[in-house]
Amino acid sequence: MHRYPRWPIHLALLLAGFVMLVPFYWVLKTSVSGENIYAYPPSIVPARIHPFFYVDVWYSIPFARYLLNSVVVSAIAVAGNVLFNAMAGYALTHGFRGKSTVVLLFLTCMMVPFQATIIPAYLITGRLGLLDSWLGLALPQCSTIICIFVFKASFDAVPRSLIDAARIDGLSEWRIVWHVMMPLSKSAIATNVILAFIWSWNNFLWPLIMTRSADMQTLPLGLARFLSYQEDTTGALYAFCIMVLAPGLLLFLLAQKEFMRGLTSGAVKG
Amino acid sequence: MAAFWRVRHRTRQALLLWCFLAPSLAIFLLYRVLPVVWNLVLSFQYWSPLKAAEPAGFDHYEDLLADDVFWQALWNTLIVIASAPVGILIALMLALLVNSEIRGRDVYRTVIFTSYPLMTVAVAIIWRWMFDERVGLLNYAARASHLIDSPIPFLNSFIWALPCVIVANIWQMLGFYMIILLTGLQNIPHELHEAAAIDGANALRRFQRITLPLLRPSIFLAFVIGMLNSVTSFDLVYVMTGGGPGRATEILVTYIYKLGFMQTKFDDAAAVTVVFFVLLVATTWGANQFAGGDAGAAETE
Repeated sequence: MHRYPRWPIHLALLLAGFVMLVPFYWVLKTSVSGENIYAYPPSIVPARIHPFFYVDVWYSIPFARYLLNSVVVSAIAVAGNVLFNAMAGYALTHGFRGKSTVVLLFLTCMMVPFQATIIPAYLITGRLGLLDSWLGLALPQCSTIICIFVFKASFDAVPRSLIDAARIDGLSEWRIVWHVMMPLSKSAIATNVILAFIWSWNNFLWPLIMTRSADMQTLPLGLARFLSYQEDTTGALYAFCIMVLAPGLLLFLLAQKEFMRGLTSGAVKG
Repeated sequence: MAAFWRVRHRTRQALLLWCFLAPSLAIFLLYRVLPVVWNLVLSFQYWSPLKAAEPAGFDHYEDLLADDVFWQALWNTLIVIASAPVGILIALMLALLVNSEIRGRDVYRTVIFTSYPLMTVAVAIIWRWMFDERVGLLNYAARASHLIDSPIPFLNSFIWALPCVIVANIWQMLGFYMIILLTGLQNIPHELHEAAAIDGANALRRFQRITLPLLRPSIFLAFVIGMLNSVTSFDLVYVMTGGGPGRATEILVTYIYKLGFMQTKFDDAAAVTVVFFVLLVATTWGANQFAGGDAGAAETE
């Protein structure tokens, strides 16, 4: 089985890796050059590394405010996902009347992309009086179907006898979820946290239509607005880009194993 | 008496389970089910904020038939859908390579996957910069190697703009496709390949007869998720080109946004949404047929 030469595989993968990384490098290089970014020919390696554009971003836009909004909205979404998805996932491990209807409903909902429902979603949020608020920004993302199935799969793996023992000890269903199931489902929790964070952190269309005041804008929105009024005349745009990408990238690199496992288990299970 | 208590216990438990489901169900009813219904109703009405609704019959749909922008957006959306298999094909090759027993394959896998969790707005800006007319890397590389004499204004060109957006989209989705396909590959039992090898089947034949058929559910899954992701990549189009030049990169999602939130024609936008939705369902159904009709089994377990 091992007779074929390896170098063509390495070559092809190195090429793919190169294509994936070069765009990052190009933006990173631009953001730290601190010079005329339109000089031709462009420098491949920055002559001098300079944080000028980063400082520029910090002072030219309310970066801290965008960051706060993004963090709060993501935190609400993450908390909602872990809490609601765990509860729903636990319910689905039981048999009860109407369960098949619920599962069918979930699977159908999965086929409804949020972007295809923005108009009624906007009108509904308006009726709820949640436009332009943190809760309104987070609410549509507070529970995700894929993540419910991630919890369900993890709970299914917990031995029945353990649950029965907990019941005999007189634990309520609520406490069984939080004191028996959850400690045994660390990787499902990690998956939920990571996916909910990434989806909420990166979300653009929803904040775009439902925020009105500059104070409620999140980072992706701030980034797009920055582009629209500065055009791409300044390297600050690219510094902003790097500042926004850094948290997501860091989280991903720290938790990539969980992330990939969660994504595939969620995607494969439903 | 004991039976009574048991029944009571049963109903109590069922009630509790429904309570557990309630928050999630409420969110999905509010933001998935109700919007779809409301959207359908809205598309048959004349309505705008602060105005009472009046029945409109099929008026909005008839307007769409005569709307050039709608047809352009529909066509562009179809092209975007058609581009998903290209990404999947590249990802399949990468998945096969990463699945071989070589050193550092985890590193390769991570590097290829890294673009997926990134913020799409930032990805769009990265690619705007790559495609930049004056100092974008692509133009620079092409000019430096004397492939072209004058720079190509990629994102301002009617011919290039849509392919450029698609390239950025594939770049972001590639790692995701790869992971789905890789999982599928790893679920194929080794024995099958070994047995076929002993029977004298060469690598190409083994790929055609074993890998590809068994990988069909994964390919279907990657296609459906990737297709949904691509046609709804509002952020990418909005930031990279804004739908331009002209309407060259207008897709249905951006058109819905523009109709609804820039021209406040919510009812017209609702009609476009219904068409968009039908298109998504039809594509998924078609892909399922193509995958052998039972590929959904992987989803429902």
